[in-house]
Amino acid sequence: MPDVAYGDTPAHARNHRVVVTGLGAVSALGWGVPPLWEALLGGRSGLGPFSRIDHSRQRTHIAGQVPEGPSRRLGLPRGFSRLSVAEQFALFATVEAVGDAGLPQCFSALEAGVFFGTSTGGLLESERYLDQVWSRKSNGRGIGLMAGHQLNAPGDTVARHLRVAGPVETISSACASAAIAVTVAFRAVREGGVEVAITGGADCLSTTTYSGFNSLRLVDDHPCRPFGANRGGLSLGEGGAVLVLERAERALTRGARIRAEVLGGGVSCDASHMTAPHPEGEGAARALLAALRDAGIGPEAVDFINAHGTGTFLSDASECAAFARVFGERVRTLPVSATKSIVGHLLGSAGAIEAVATILCLEAGVAHASAGLGRVDPALAVDLVDCAPRRLEAGSTGVSTSLGFGGANAALVFARWASGLA
Amino acid sequence: MNRGVVITGGGAVTPFGLGLEPVAEALRTSSPRFVEVDRGTGYHGSCGARLAGLVGAPDLSSWLPVAVGRRMSPPSRLAVTAARMALRSAGLPEERTDQETAVVLATAFGPASFSERLYRSVVKDGPESASPFLFAECVANAPAAQVAITCGAAGPNITTVQREAGALVALGRGAAEITSGRVVRALVGVVDELPPVAHGVLDRFRALARERAGLPEAPRPFDRRRNGFVASEGATVLVLEEERAARDRGVRPLARLRAVGTAFDASASRVGWGTGVEPLRRGLLRVLDRADRGPRDVSFVVSGASGSVAGDRLEAKLLCAAFGGGPLPPVLAPKSVTGEYGGGLLASLTIACESRPFGPTAGFREADPDLGLTPHMGGPLPSPRAVVASSLAAGGAAVWAVLEAP
Repeated sequence: MPDVAYGDTPAHARNHRVVVTGLGAVSALGWGVPPLWEALLGGRSGLGPFSRIDHSRQRTHIAGQVPEGPSRRLGLPRGFSRLSVAEQFALFATVEAVGDAGLPQCFSALEAGVFFGTSTGGLLESERYLDQVWSRKSNGRGIGLMAGHQLNAPGDTVARHLRVAGPVETISSACASAAIAVTVAFRAVREGGVEVAITGGADCLSTTTYSGFNSLRLVDDHPCRPFGANRGGLSLGEGGAVLVLERAERALTRGARIRAEVLGGGVSCDASHMTAPHPEGEGAARALLAALRDAGIGPEAVDFINAHGTGTFLSDASECAAFARVFGERVRTLPVSATKSIVGHLLGSAGAIEAVATILCLEAGVAHASAGLGRVDPALAVDLVDCAPRRLEAGSTGVSTSLGFGGANAALVFARWASGLA
Repeated sequence: MNRGVVITGGGAVTPFGLGLEPVAEALRTSSPRFVEVDRGTGYHGSCGARLAGLVGAPDLSSWLPVAVGRRMSPPSRLAVTAARMALRSAGLPEERTDQETAVVLATAFGPASFSERLYRSVVKDGPESASPFLFAECVANAPAAQVAITCGAAGPNITTVQREAGALVALGRGAAEITSGRVVRALVGVVDELPPVAHGVLDRFRALARERAGLPEAPRPFDRRRNGFVASEGATVLVLEEERAARDRGVRPLARLRAVGTAFDASASRVGWGTGVEPLRRGLLRVLDRADRGPRDVSFVVSGASGSVAGDRLEAKLLCAAFGGGPLPPVLAPKSVTGEYGGGLLASLTIACESRPFGPTAGFREADPDLGLTPHMGGPLPSPRAVVASSLAAGGAAVWAVLEAP
C-alpha cells in the first residue's frame, strides 16, 4: 500500500534542495523589488495618507497604499488594467519574479504549480459592486466587478498568465495565508511534485478591513511602531509579492542566479481565541520549532529574524514570548527586523513580502532597518534593528514569522546560498 | 515510511438534515430538496434563478451549545457541528487539546452574510458602527479556526479556497499532513453558506439553472437541456487518520484514500470553464498512476458535474479521453441531488465508498450527443475497489481523488 500521494507528490519524498531564483514585489514603496529594497535599507516608511477608500469618517487615516502604476508595462498582458487591484498586484509581482529568475513567461512545458495566499482577494471590487446595487445604479451591469472577487482569483490569474498545467492552490488563513502558501510550495518542489513553483500573495486595502481593524481598536493613528514602547496598533498596507522556487539542481543546470535556499516551513494553530494571540506565544513557538525541525537545524543556527511585528500590543508581546521559548537568552542579541514598519500590514500577503525582505537581507548580509520606531518596549526581549541596517556577522540563516486571526501561525526558514550542491 | 490514510468518520449539516444518513437517503431516492430563495433583497434580476439548497435554521444545540454558537458566523456554526459529528462517529472525543490533529477546510465564499452585514453597516451608519464580532468572523478561515478552538485541534490549520475544487483539495491537503508524519489525523471538509447576495451574484453571471420553455428550474448534469447548476450550502467534515492509528483503535474505516492530485486548465476564463482536455487528462491519469491504478480498474466515478453547460462538457470530454474512448465506468452525478457545493460531493463520495445505493441521476432525461456520456441511471453499482472523484472548478483548477473500500 503506497503512501497517499497529493499534489503529484510521489509516494516517497525525494527531498530535493529548493532554491529561490526570482523575486517580485508591489508595495507602498512602488512597483517592483528595487524601491522596496531601497526603503528597507534606508528605514524609509511608505505609510501615510491614502486614497484607496474613503476614510474621512474612520478613526485613523494612515495606510500603506501602492502608488499609481505601474509606469512600466513591459511583459504585462493585455487586459491587465481590467483585473481587480489584488490580481494586478499578483500579476505584476509574478512577471517581475519570473523575469528575475530568467524563465519564460509561459510555463506550459514546465512541471510547475502556483501556490498563493490572500485574505481579501477582490473585496475592494465587491464593495464597489455592492455600492452600485444598493444605490440602484447597477441593475446587474456592474457584475463584471465580481469576476475577480473570489479569493482564488489572484492565484488563478497568475496560473492562466503563465499557462501553468500543474497544481494551483490558494490558501486563505488570514495573515498567515502567504507564509502557509510558501510552505506548501516549498514542499511541492522539495518532494518532487513540481520542478518550479510560483508562490506568494496579494491583498488590497478595502473599507471592510479598514473599518474592521479599527472596530477592534487595532489600528495606530501614527505609522505603526512594532515592538515600540509607544506602539498603538498596526498600519494596514496593500501589495503583493512572489517568489520563484525551483529545484536546486535544475537552477544550477540552467545557470540561474540563486538568491537563497528555502530550508523549511512550519504551520500550527493556537486553538485558543479568534482574534487574540496566545499570551505566551505557544502556537507561534510551535510553528517556529516545526519550521526549524523541517529545516533540520536547531535554534542556534538562526542568525536573523524577520518578525511578524504588527505593532499591536498583544501580538508583539505574544511573538516575543514565542521567540523567547524558541531561542532562549539568545533572543536578546538576535537581530529582528520589522518590515511592517516600512510597508504596513499586507494581511494575507504579508508572509510573502516579508519572505522577500528576508531573502534580500540574507543576500546583502544585513538586517534591514525599521522605520522610526523610537524606544523599544523594555518589557519585550527583542533586539530590534531600528533606524539603520545592521550587518549580520554570520548572516547565513533567517526566519520569517506570520501570525493570523484564528490563531493561524506559520514560519519559514531561508539560508544564504553559499555554493553548489553538497 | 508507509502511512496509509483512511476516513474514519463523517458529519454533515445539509439541506437534508444533520448527518450523512439523510444525504445517503436523498441520493438513494434521487430526491433533491431545493427551496425558493429570498429574491427581494435587490441582488437578483427580474427573471433569474429561484431555487437553492438551503439548510434553513436547524437545531444544532445537541452539538453546539447555543451560548457558544451565538458567537459564531453561520458557516462557523455549521462547520463546528459537522466536525463534532465527524469526531463522534469516528469514536474520538469531541473536545481535547491535541497538536496531532490538523484542520483543513475549503470554502468558496467564506462567511458571506457577515461580510455583507459588516459592509452594509459601515456604508449606512458609518465606520463607527462596524461590529468587531462581525469582522472577526468575516475572515475565510473563521470556520476552521472555530473548529480548532472548540475541538482543541492545535495542529496545522489551513483554509483552502479553490471554488468547486476546494473539497478534494482539502481532502488531499489533510492527507498530506498525515502522510508527512506531521499529524496523525485531520479534520477535512467544506463549508459554505448561500445568502441572497451570493445567490444573486451567481445568477447575474448566468451560472444558475433557470426555468426555460416549460422546463422547471433544476440541475441536469450531462443532460442536453442543462442550463446551469442549483447552488447549495452546508458543511461536511470527515476525519482522516493514519490507517495504522485507526487500526490500533479498532475502528472500521469508511474508505481508504489512495491518491489526490491536481491540474490546471489555463484556457479557462476567470468565471468559467475552459476546453483544455489534454492537460486535465494527463493530470487524471497521473493521479490514477500514483494510486497504482489504471482506468480499467476504476469501479465508478463520482463526478462533480452540476448541470453547468461548459463545466459538464469539459468533464464529459475529460472522462471520455481519460478512458481512452472505451466504455466508461458508471458515472455518478450527485450534485443533481445535493446541488452545487463542495460538501455535497465530499459526502456523496464517502457514501459511495460504503457501497450505498444511488438512484438514477435526478433531472437527466436526454443524453447530450455532444458529450458521449450517460450518467448513472440507477441499479446496482460495482464494488468500490477504485472510486475516482472528479471536480473541475470554474477558473481552471481541477482535482481528483482515488479512494477504495477499506
